[in-house]
Amino acid sequence: MSDKIFDVDHVTLRFGGVVSLNDVTLHQERGEILAVIGPNGAGKTSLFNSLTGVYQPQEGTITFMGKDAKPMNVIGKKPHRVSAAGVARTFQASRMFSALTAFENIKIGAESHRGIGVVGAMLRGPATRRDEKLSDERTVELLDFVGLRAKANVISSSLSYGDRRRLEIARGLATGPQVLLLDEPAAGTNPSEKLELTTLIRKVRDEMGVSILLIEHDMKLVMSLAERLYVLNFGSVIAQGTPEEIRANDQVIEAYLGSTATETGDRS
Amino acid sequence: MKRVFANAHVKRLFSAIAAMAVLELMTGPPGSALSPTAGFTGSFGEASSFFGLFRTQRWVVFLFIALVMFAIWTTWLTWGEQVRTATSKAMSVPRAATHTRPVRWGMVLVLLVVALLLPRLITDPFWQAAMVEQIAVYVLLALGLNVVVGFAGLLDLGFVAFYAIGAYTTAWVTGALPTAAPFGIHFNNFYAIPIAIALAMGAGIILGAPTLRLRGDYLAIVTLGFGEIITIFANNLYGITGGSQGTNTIPHFSLHVGPIKYLWGLTPVPYYYLTIVFVILFLIGFKLLEHSRVGRAWTAIREDEVAAESVGINPLKYKVMAFAIGASTAGFAGVVTASQSNTIFPSSFTLQFSINILVLVIFGGMGSITGVVLGAIVIQTGSMFLLHSPPAGYQPQDLYIYLGALLVVMMIFRPAGLVPSRRRHREIGLAEKGEGHMNEVLTGDTP
Repeated sequence: MSDKIFDVDHVTLRFGGVVSLNDVTLHQERGEILAVIGPNGAGKTSLFNSLTGVYQPQEGTITFMGKDAKPMNVIGKKPHRVSAAGVARTFQASRMFSALTAFENIKIGAESHRGIGVVGAMLRGPATRRDEKLSDERTVELLDFVGLRAKANVISSSLSYGDRRRLEIARGLATGPQVLLLDEPAAGTNPSEKLELTTLIRKVRDEMGVSILLIEHDMKLVMSLAERLYVLNFGSVIAQGTPEEIRANDQVIEAYLGSTATETGDRS
Repeated sequence: MKRVFANAHVKRLFSAIAAMAVLELMTGPPGSALSPTAGFTGSFGEASSFFGLFRTQRWVVFLFIALVMFAIWTTWLTWGEQVRTATSKAMSVPRAATHTRPVRWGMVLVLLVVALLLPRLITDPFWQAAMVEQIAVYVLLALGLNVVVGFAGLLDLGFVAFYAIGAYTTAWVTGALPTAAPFGIHFNNFYAIPIAIALAMGAGIILGAPTLRLRGDYLAIVTLGFGEIITIFANNLYGITGGSQGTNTIPHFSLHVGPIKYLWGLTPVPYYYLTIVFVILFLIGFKLLEHSRVGRAWTAIREDEVAAESVGINPLKYKVMAFAIGASTAGFAGVVTASQSNTIFPSSFTLQFSINILVLVIFGGMGSITGVVLGAIVIQTGSMFLLHSPPAGYQPQDLYIYLGALLVVMMIFRPAGLVPSRRRHREIGLAEKGEGHMNEVLTGDTP
């Protein structure tokens, strides 16, 4: 049996009468770079929000195999619980804590899963200080990892788009995840930044052993990075396979370019 | 006519004149059943001194003020940007200078010495009493509300409820209420401190846990209601709280430890030192809290709750925590006030009180501990000054006109407060530029 990190089983998500995800079944192997592609409104971000506990699908199960290899059903869990289990994510329009520095942004990720301790914080005892030091060290490591060390004290809203993307990845990694969900990481970046990003994402998987789940519109980036792809259209999975298989798939071409025939194309 | 008002200058001129007309009516004499128009004619037509220079009609004075206001307003809109950059440049120099450690510690030491010597420098009994009742206690309250409003970004309009809980707990524990003291023992006021803090904190958690799921306005409404409920309880539960008469038999603080015997009496100075000790303790605690994991988590939630959740922060937990900390500070302030004045009435725990504290926080600078302390001192000293040596014709209720005007001016020139918190300052700046997630919050564009 394969080692699945995410197992999405017949998931349906509705908003009133609108079906956002329709009977979606897919899985991700541990250590895999998996991509989900599809036209606008296909349900990619809804899928991400369901995987991280932001949305609660009405049907199906989402099983996440966390750190201790204990399966967890993500549906019904709050986002912070899902994060604690080992799922990190970035957002489509990058969502930094914009008034904080790059350093502080990552540090918030690094320390969020340690205890709470108001009293400890107010007294600032040795345990608190040790904790702070560990978080600081981890933060510096990650700043180095994504190549933002020189910009540690820059306010995150004044970073360039590409830097913000990298910072968001570092913030996600700081929570110590098993899998990193990237929602259009290359949106708004220039070609050279795209190239760096590709290298970085591969490095995250290779050096940190974090599985990657990716949503992306940039086909060049997806095809060079992903080992396997799922194609969503109108909330349903219409195809899956390796980049080569997807490229040759008629349904995919139709979904992206429109069909030459009438609108009766079979999309089941 | 519509065309004329479309002109921004005309619009501003008329708003200035309208604002002054309202102020004129508010500060003018009231009318009566016999002469209903007296309020109107008296407000506009009465003779008044033109800044002590010559006597003229009131409307002339106010029209002049309106024109000056219009001039300042227009100038500000035209050259405001340059002025703002110039002042921020000028301000950044002293800020940088205070950033070295010895300078900072030196300043803290000087302030400490001043705080300790203050009762010796100010010997007027009015001011000595004001220093405790109206300034030190309000600094404490502002510090507490700052955790809720400034750090966690929650609008709490029922802060007075926790203050009332602290005060009534003191009365209860010391046996000053109609209801029996716990176990029939009349405890010393010092025991009231932990009990009041615990009860206020408990009330904060009980109120917070279900309501902090709400956002923005809804939370404000619920807390507003809670504040009213507590006051109404205090007023109507005659057998427990003493009803609208309250109680006036709360003892003073006293200390009996072995050979040491000390009674805090009617003079305010010992209370000043007692309160100052606690203010300093709270100050240090909150300062450390601000720069701890908890403080950063609050900032993260304030800025972008969705992103905060995605990195594993439980917003509800941290919000309840902020609420509980704020509540317990107010509860403690209640103990000090109740013990010092010996009396409590339900009528002193009003919505007005909650809003007053909020004004201190907003004026001083939300989220900035230094700012909030300074704001509380400045506003409270100012209002005490108006009470102590009022200008001619000043009525106590006029205070709110001055406070309101002060806040309006403040919002135009220093929207982030007297001493802005650096984080908050950036947030407001970003929101004004239409960037950052504060903007999304303002425009209601949620994910």
